[in-house]
Amino acid sequence: MSKEKIVINPEFWDIIPQDYRDLVDHATYGKTDRGWKDVGSSTELIAEHSLCAGCPESIAFRHIMASIPAPEDTVMVGSTGCTSLVFPMVAVQNIHSLFGNQNAIATGLKRALAYRFPNQTKDVIVLAGDGATVDIGLDMTLQSWFRQEKFTTICFDNELYANTGGQESGLMQKGFVAKMAPQGKKFEKVRLPEIARESGCAYVAVLTTSKPSLVERVVKQAVLIAREIGPTYLQIYTPCILEIGKQSMEGLQEMRDSESAGERFKFREFITPEAQAFIDDMNAKKKADKLAASANN
Amino acid sequence: MYYVAEINEEACVANKGCRLCIMYCPEANCIMMNDEKKVAFVVESRCKGCELCVVVCDAAKHKAITMQDR
Ligand SMILES: Cc1ncc(C[n+]2csc(CCOP(=O)(O)OP(=O)(O)O)c2C)c(N)n1
Ligand code: SF4
Ligand code: SF4
Ligand code: SF4
Ligand SMILES: [Mg+2]
Repeated sequence: MSKEKIVINPEFWDIIPQDYRDLVDHATYGKTDRGWKDVGSSTELIAEHSLCAGCPESIAFRHIMASIPAPEDTVMVGSTGCTSLVFPMVAVQNIHSLFGNQNAIATGLKRALAYRFPNQTKDVIVLAGDGATVDIGLDMTLQSWFRQEKFTTICFDNELYANTGGQESGLMQKGFVAKMAPQGKKFEKVRLPEIARESGCAYVAVLTTSKPSLVERVVKQAVLIAREIGPTYLQIYTPCILEIGKQSMEGLQEMRDSESAGERFKFREFITPEAQAFIDDMNAKKKADKLAASANN
Repeated sequence: MYYVAEINEEACVANKGCRLCIMYCPEANCIMMNDEKKVAFVVESRCKGCELCVVVCDAAKHKAITMQDR
């Protein structure tokens, strides 16, 4: 399965918008080793959207869309928040859920896809903000992990409700003062990665989007482990530059500062022995294939 | 009037493998590679003028990007 799904009837080609033609001609659907290195020389699966200039959510979206292993056989589930301004401009099938319901929708979707397409692999990826994942949707998030639902949950953690002007979220840091949370947060940032591990996620990673190669590695692992083993969770710091008072070009430095030793987004990952064995096996096979290919040349 | 990034082809070292601005520009399909000339270029209609590309290019001492009023 590859680009066949998006190819246009030749008779309609001349009335198809250029952006769509670019996707047909230059997007990386069906490319097995697709990754962030394709960007710049291929058409990305995300187009002009209305996020603020310089928004790190936008950078993270680009890195993720370049990394998902099989976009043509993936359905993404979004939720309300700044990310929902991007989904209409994403060239992967996606569903907008009611705020907080994303992991419940993804559960039904993943099961229905397995039932409808028993001989095909279909990936489901939830991508939602911290408010959707940790506050309003926490019940659905946790229950899907307890039930070992086989899909990936990605949280764009900007540590507040950005889309509605800066209210407190469970992932906000203790003491942080936001426009709509003037007294400062009284509780610690919820330790969702650790909760995810204890709730049965086979793979969990915490990172920022400052290194596209790292985003690519964790996204691929998360999706492939979810396919074979069980739920996976990624928490990516995508600072809301608008609400924390940064300039449009300061988002990258903010992410780099937050991932130094001892800081809250220092890269960390948890993986179960079963998931690790699966990844080791996959890497060994890839290595063997490469060796065989170079021996044949 | 728009505020957009512009890449100086003489100063751009994409031919040596640099992809910094392409990696970090928040907008998709906005900074692209000219595969023939081996330089990066800005699709102005997609540029939001955030200047992040200038920051990363300057930090690497290439200084190939400037902001322009259009
Ligand atoms: C059921 C429901 N409750 C509240 C809202 C209002 N609302 C819209 S976006 C949002 C906050 C989103 O925050 P988050 O999930 O962190 O995403 P961000 O905008 O920060 O990326 C809220 C409360 C809504 N749309 N639906
Ligand atoms: S409000 Fe914040 S999170 Fe939303 S688009 Fe703007 S910078 Fe990004
Ligand atoms: S960062 Fe600068 S030198 Fe590197 S590709 Fe972009 S414009 Fe060229
Ligand atoms: S100014 Fe911002 S949007 Fe424009 S090309 Fe540079 S990084 Fe991209
Ligand atoms: Mg948020």
